[in-house]
Amino acid sequence: MNRYFFYNFMLVSLMNLMLFVPHILVKNRYSGGVSALIAAPVIGAILMYMFTSAMARYPGLGYPEILKKYCPRWLVSLTSVYFAIMWWFSSTIVVVAYAVLINRFFNPDANTTVILIMMVLAAAYAASRSTLTIAFIIEIGIIVNAPIILFIMFKMVRSPQLNFDSIRVIANYVTVMPTVITLAAATLIFTGYIHLALFNRLFPPNFRFKHLYVYPILGFIILLITFFVPIGFHGTEGVDRYIYLWAVTSDSLIMQYGFIERVIFLFLIVFLNLTLVYTMSGWHLGMEYIKSCFKACKPEIDSPKAPKANYIILAVFATATVLYLIFTNEKINYLITSYWLVLRMFTEIVGVLWVFILSRRRLKPE
Amino acid sequence: MNRYAALLSLLLALLTISGCGFKDIDKRFFVVATGIDWSGNKSKPYRITLQLAIPSPKIEPGASKIQYETIDAPSIAEGVRMLKAYVDKELDFGHCKMMIIGEELAKRDINHSIEWMLRRRDIQSVATLAIGRPTAETVLHVRPASERYPGNALLLSFGADGTESSYNYAETLSGFARRVSEKGMDPALAIITNDGKESYIINQVALFDKEKIKTILTPAETQLFNQMSDHFTKASMHGMFKGTPLVIAINQLNSSFRLQGHTAPVRITMKVKMDVVFEEAPNGLFDKDWLSVEDALATEYEKAAVALLKKIQRHGVDPFGFGLRYRAVYPGKNAWNNWTQLYPDAEFNVEAMVKIEGTGLIR
Repeated sequence: MNRYFFYNFMLVSLMNLMLFVPHILVKNRYSGGVSALIAAPVIGAILMYMFTSAMARYPGLGYPEILKKYCPRWLVSLTSVYFAIMWWFSSTIVVVAYAVLINRFFNPDANTTVILIMMVLAAAYAASRSTLTIAFIIEIGIIVNAPIILFIMFKMVRSPQLNFDSIRVIANYVTVMPTVITLAAATLIFTGYIHLALFNRLFPPNFRFKHLYVYPILGFIILLITFFVPIGFHGTEGVDRYIYLWAVTSDSLIMQYGFIERVIFLFLIVFLNLTLVYTMSGWHLGMEYIKSCFKACKPEIDSPKAPKANYIILAVFATATVLYLIFTNEKINYLITSYWLVLRMFTEIVGVLWVFILSRRRLKPE
Repeated sequence: MNRYAALLSLLLALLTISGCGFKDIDKRFFVVATGIDWSGNKSKPYRITLQLAIPSPKIEPGASKIQYETIDAPSIAEGVRMLKAYVDKELDFGHCKMMIIGEELAKRDINHSIEWMLRRRDIQSVATLAIGRPTAETVLHVRPASERYPGNALLLSFGADGTESSYNYAETLSGFARRVSEKGMDPALAIITNDGKESYIINQVALFDKEKIKTILTPAETQLFNQMSDHFTKASMHGMFKGTPLVIAINQLNSSFRLQGHTAPVRITMKVKMDVVFEEAPNGLFDKDWLSVEDALATEYEKAAVALLKKIQRHGVDPFGFGLRYRAVYPGKNAWNNWTQLYPDAEFNVEAMVKIEGTGLIR
């Protein structure tokens, strides 16, 4: 079962490219971006250890169920709705950004809203399945796509175009203290563990987390590649110029003897898959949070038939996402995302501390 | 029931995308090369030449069919839009892998053209950039007799698939854009000319500051420049040993440089290591002492290399990225300002290490 935890972690850490993380870090490369790279694994690791050790004490229970044991109902419901909105929004940013990306790189004549509706329908349908199915879909998504991403990353790191002098120039700014926004962006890579809040329901009582040390290391490597490869490709100054930083970076590569010469198409297809999987998982989590507010809904991990509530909640999510696209543009989306990243970091810290303290309190002899 | 409802809604969604902006491949004109020139007219400064591929079922040497469209326009984007009125199919830059800038324009300002290329989403970042002499238009009108597909000849000249010329400096759009913006690393582009007949000559490199050509290297300097900037392909080198001419083929070459000292004068030491084989040599060389030959070749190489570095320095450009290295090694707020003062007085030192592998098939 450890691997399901791993997939969630990988999913979020790879998705950072769509969440403007490289963009924010690169923009702040002279003002704290580099030191955030070093601080983030530490913060991420501490939070992850606290969260996993807390959740391991409640096998088979999700975050809302644990809170319900100790806190008043209204507080739990409030928190659940808040978390649901956070999760819905994280997926919305990604799927909206991707719809715009399709419009920019695949077919500029296509209507972004129509593309988004198609993607949203697919993701919403998948999200309405049971939690166990979602875990399996994530597994398939990661197994199919991760090798291709690793291949692209390997090609990039090995490319002669990667200029290590530029990387060194930026790395020298490591002494600048990180700012809130850079920390928020960098810690996102390590935030996949938080999916455990609901996937914990799947885990059997005698479950133990293994090899937790792998996650900070892996996250750190992904973070380094995310940040430094575009700098190596576009230089210390030119890197600031691009809106779709990683799409352009992958376009700078060529696969001489691949089926498709331009790496960008491979990159876009892989990230289309990951975006859909991420949107699905985010909405599923949001949906489960909302459902936990109602007394009637018992958390079920493998119901053969999706309850009607699923469809209603997801329909609201999907509509809200389409509306979000209509009422925002690239610039506003970017701004809101940066605020969301900061809010997410603090929410995460509070949420983890909360459940950690609860789990410790129970241990004390009464 | 639920399943049918889902299926139905999906089908309904499909209806909305019927006949969206997707055009068939036979309704598109693929631009295989773009030329941008200075027209000389102030109100319409840009002359845009598009080389459009005409698909043909025959693939044989000389069978490539090309249509040209040229227009003068106040800006590049406007020119391309106006050109759409000249053709019957949709213009598609997705396969445009050659961007040629006219020499006259390159001597004025290239930033505007580069920005247009970067901003357009369908122009590949891996497209090759080059300078056309005397104009991009004349270069594009060259029709090599051996060309199999439209625009393929130029591509093969620059890529690693076809010829591997040691005079050829290939630069991609993204690489060029990086150098234009990077402090401490200046751009360079190959110059394409036409020999008056049916082929191209690519044996010179133009060095840029951040916006225009500063100097143009001779073919011999170009070859040296390619070797020193690690843009190496198999090359040959002339030398003299005790009055007899030698020609050697360089099989492998590595070059690297380092900076010494960060107060004036900075010393830039460049190391060039090469493995060579003789192509033309006096008889009996096999039995002689190779060490002295290696030394003689190395000294000659060093002399030429230092002369080239001095010439580049004199023009105030830095295509090797010395400045970037300085910023990397000596970080600080005013590293860049320091460097701009240090570079004009920097001293160069080239250490060439020639290793003779053999004398060919005969002694």
